[in-house]
Amino acid sequence: MSKAPAKPSTNQSVATASREAFAAWIDEAPEGRVFGQVLIRRDGEGGYSLRHRDDAGVVELDVHEEPREAREISKLTERGEYRPLKSSPNLRRGWELRMKDAHGLAVAMNYLYPAAQVHWHLYREGRLEVTSYRENAARQSGIYKRIQRLSDEGVQNAARACCKDAVCLKKTLWDVDEETPLAMDRGDGEIPCPEPCSVFVSFARRVRLFEREDRRDLDEIGLSPSEKEDLAALVETASAGKVEYAREAEFEEPLNERRLRYRRLTLLPKLRPAKSPKD
Amino acid sequence: MKALVIVGHGSHLNEDSSLPVYEHAARIRECFGDEYDEVVECFWKEEPSMRHVLDTVESEEVCVVPAFISEGYFTQQVIPRELGLAGPVTHRGGKTIRYAGPLGTFEGMPEVILERVEDLLRGKEVPPGRTALVLLGHGTDLNKSSGGVIYLNAGRIRERGLYDVVAEGFLDQEPEIGEVVENVEAENVILIPVFIAEGWHTRETIPEDLGLTGEVTVKDTATGEKTIFYGAPVGTHPSMAALIAARARETERETEVVQSAG
Repeated sequence: MSKAPAKPSTNQSVATASREAFAAWIDEAPEGRVFGQVLIRRDGEGGYSLRHRDDAGVVELDVHEEPREAREISKLTERGEYRPLKSSPNLRRGWELRMKDAHGLAVAMNYLYPAAQVHWHLYREGRLEVTSYRENAARQSGIYKRIQRLSDEGVQNAARACCKDAVCLKKTLWDVDEETPLAMDRGDGEIPCPEPCSVFVSFARRVRLFEREDRRDLDEIGLSPSEKEDLAALVETASAGKVEYAREAEFEEPLNERRLRYRRLTLLPKLRPAKSPKD
Repeated sequence: MKALVIVGHGSHLNEDSSLPVYEHAARIRECFGDEYDEVVECFWKEEPSMRHVLDTVESEEVCVVPAFISEGYFTQQVIPRELGLAGPVTHRGGKTIRYAGPLGTFEGMPEVILERVEDLLRGKEVPPGRTALVLLGHGTDLNKSSGGVIYLNAGRIRERGLYDVVAEGFLDQEPEIGEVVENVEAENVILIPVFIAEGWHTRETIPEDLGLTGEVTVKDTATGEKTIFYGAPVGTHPSMAALIAARARETERETEVVQSAG
């Protein structure tokens, strides 16, 4: 683990410091700040107004004054699907959180983007501890122990499928290991990602199972059983006129978005060897 | 400042799993708010992760209570590892972190189970005959202590002599719950899942496997007609909040003793 510099000598906790720093960052921007998909503005009475950034100019919003109601807002997508990863770009619209002070702001932010405020602060101060994929994998046990055997290429493709801005708004700071950086666009957002999250670990486990299959079970044209299963599911559902994705972190299902993104990276080159997918 | 951190399993797939943790945390803020400056939730499969939650806590004094029923893989291995705990008391980054054991083994657990039974039977007519309380655990052949907590609570309730029979049944180890319900010698069976949350098992597999149609099912079995009362999981009961708060207080007392003895 990369060593963080010694903490400041004051007794102030990093959570307290980050709450104050975050509020100050908002205070110094009269037009407001965008954090993830949330637009945060001063309200003129010492408080803060939070809403979806796409609702910047919307007047009629559902107003909430209790910071913990942010949890309900962040729980389901517009279509009512469960959001296991709060940094997915699928925060619903139509609400406003009116927080009366920086405490309320911090509580609400911790439900909209858990731990993001403190990571943002530590990153700005240059003391956010970053944990590589290999360090994270080394401490896994039980059903996740097998992610230790995921190849470097598997980690790279899993990260491209699981972590890019199209599916997660965090800026990916971690690498495969100290010598092997992630070769991808790490994202433009304000929220740093210091370590593979549990959704990524679960996805990495699925990709590791694909890798095992690749070696043993390829048919004469080089396709694995699960690749054929995914293609069959796609043809079946698309021919019926409607492709419905599986749940966001349901990686065992063929029509999971991240699983399909992984297929784009690894299956398309097999199907169309002349063209490589644009990353 | 003082914080209570409640650790839940959480889920990547549905919102049911973490709901009791949020509800208990809200109730603790409301009823025991004078004891804690912060009550914070964290999870294995949801955010905030155990890995990062302590950075979001402002207090120096922290008590961590796992919202888990059994002593085992999660409470002994995963939670201490992810939270970076060194034992019952950990000093780190200016914080003193005390770690409580699981809820299922705590002495207050039988009370919560009995309250769950009371809620289930309220307003319902219990036919004449013998009454059995059956505690249903997940169980696993992989870890002996997983089932141990069911026996522990059944034993504690049996001692009180409230029911003609108190029995144990499991999903993934012997004795299998279907056989227990089938063979238990009582006309009325009160079936309480000692689970932390509603989910696939409590909503689908258990009712399906046992042929239950709702809270009350009348069913023919090998030992005669039985009326089966099926309760919600113990872990979602509102009294769990008080149990968590009591577990935290107990842990603070125990670790004070350990610290002063050390």
